[in-house]
Amino acid sequence: MTSPARIVLIALVGVPLLVAVPWIGTPVVVQFGINMLLMATLAQGWNIIGGYTGYSSFGNSVFFGLGAYGVGIAMAQFDQPFWAGLGLGLLLAVGFALVIGLPVLRLKGHYFAIATLGLAEVVTAIVSNIPIAGQNVGLVLPLLKSDVLFYELALGLLLLSTLVVFWLSRSRFGLGLIAIRENEEAAAAMGVCTTRYKILAFMLSAALTSLAGGINAYYITFIDPAGAFDITLNVKMIIMAVFGGPGTVLGPVAGALLLSLVSEILSSKVTNIAGFFFGAVIIAAVVLMPRGLSDLIRQFRGTGWRYFLQNIRDHRL
Amino acid sequence: MLLAQVLLNGVLLGGLYALMAMGLALVWGVLNIVNLAHGAFIMLGAYVTYFLFTKAHLDPFLALPFTALVLFCLGYGLQRGLLNLVIRSPMFNTLLITFGLEVVLTFLAQTAFSADFRTINPDYAGANFELAGLTVPQVQLAAFVVATGLSIGLWAFLLRSRPGRSIRAVSQNLLAAQLQGIEPRRIYALTFGLGTALAGVAGGLYGTVSQINPYIGASLTAKSFVIAIIGGLDNPLGVIVGGIFLGTAELLTALYIGPTYTEVASFGILVLVLLVKPTGLLGRTT
Repeated sequence: MTSPARIVLIALVGVPLLVAVPWIGTPVVVQFGINMLLMATLAQGWNIIGGYTGYSSFGNSVFFGLGAYGVGIAMAQFDQPFWAGLGLGLLLAVGFALVIGLPVLRLKGHYFAIATLGLAEVVTAIVSNIPIAGQNVGLVLPLLKSDVLFYELALGLLLLSTLVVFWLSRSRFGLGLIAIRENEEAAAAMGVCTTRYKILAFMLSAALTSLAGGINAYYITFIDPAGAFDITLNVKMIIMAVFGGPGTVLGPVAGALLLSLVSEILSSKVTNIAGFFFGAVIIAAVVLMPRGLSDLIRQFRGTGWRYFLQNIRDHRL
Repeated sequence: MLLAQVLLNGVLLGGLYALMAMGLALVWGVLNIVNLAHGAFIMLGAYVTYFLFTKAHLDPFLALPFTALVLFCLGYGLQRGLLNLVIRSPMFNTLLITFGLEVVLTFLAQTAFSADFRTINPDYAGANFELAGLTVPQVQLAAFVVATGLSIGLWAFLLRSRPGRSIRAVSQNLLAAQLQGIEPRRIYALTFGLGTALAGVAGGLYGTVSQINPYIGASLTAKSFVIAIIGGLDNPLGVIVGGIFLGTAELLTALYIGPTYTEVASFGILVLVLLVKPTGLLGRTT
């Protein structure tokens, strides 16, 4: 899946097709596409810190929210253009990642996950008390009715994120991150400056996530703390990345595509049971294919259906 | 006087908080599973107690043993049939599967019980008495007593009884425990069942002091997290301290800084504790 020739092939066929969607598809498809592409970007952003570096951040929704509030504050409070807002959000998110990363990235495993979750709650509560951010009420942004523009922006951002991750998978920096994930002490002993690498990865993840938040804010034209800093978003991006295959280039994108599609179809056909099915898919996926879609695709040709049984056998008590 | 009253309320609330977190801390410490469905089990416990109270006219406090039994069976079965299958997966996967469980349980509760708010409302619900100028709400006091009693009971169970020692053995060294003839599948299921039973009792008490609906789970899981972290995973008494600490901190913040800042306070404390002393306030440093 990560072999360069195949990726180039997928890119050559897939990208023009994706770019053309607004001209082929119906408005519903385009709107679904925007949400799906943004979710895929979030999954890809999480992939950098969670998949490659092995630090399961539950605080990426903070970066999403800061990106959204950057755009919201710049546009609604200061009448600045959208681009300036994106820049402000980017600055806020990357700065936050730097300041918070220094102490928090010293924690490992569950503790890192929970500290970032705690931070997400703290930031939500703080923002809902800041007057310039509209407190609990939120901010209303100027309306721009151009789904095509938002679609292409979201697609461009997803391509950028995927290129960044592709670069990670082949660069010295990315290999350093993988080394940290596999064994941090050994990585440090081999001369990887673990603190700097981890913080840079966190900042990179924050940058991509905040841009997605900014685009989403302008797209839905309204932000409030509960929506912008939605904690369940963290869980969603992690599920999509892990379902697809964390630490791979295309896995998170495939996971986001598939799961968004499944939940979209279900909620349009059988509204009620969509939530239930989402939970059931997650449970089944963890039991049957714990290493994600990309591993399933790689292994399935060799082992066939025994792949699922083998996974159960490997991980049960 | 206001301060004293707030402190008293905080301590009483803290007892209930501690009971909520106890099951989570037990499962986390022994099985190394952070159970994101913990709040959903609290929610289910509240509903079981609610229906025992409304349909069978059983006093909510007398209904608690039945609630505990129902939730124990549910937890035992889930660990035996499902979670034991993934226990050796990486940490993400156990986190994800319990999240999936949370989604499924919330959905089932919403389908079966509707999204209406409910309260377990016995006729002594609002009763209170005066003590040294302070108002002591009776239901909260009873909940506090049950919670501390169960915590001490759990502590004694883990330290003294044979299954309790097996649980500790399995959590300290799985292989060595197996070599001593302990069957980990059963012990894991027992531990998870105990965790859900405690969550169920906490839910029953929560329903008598507050409103319930199918969606309360997620925020209760988050609270339980905070308490387990503050108290540490080593022993149930730490969790009591964590619960009381959080209860008083929340009410004091609401009084002096403003009710919208309670979340900042509780999660701020969480982050600080993690950074300064990740093994919990009472935890051993290894």
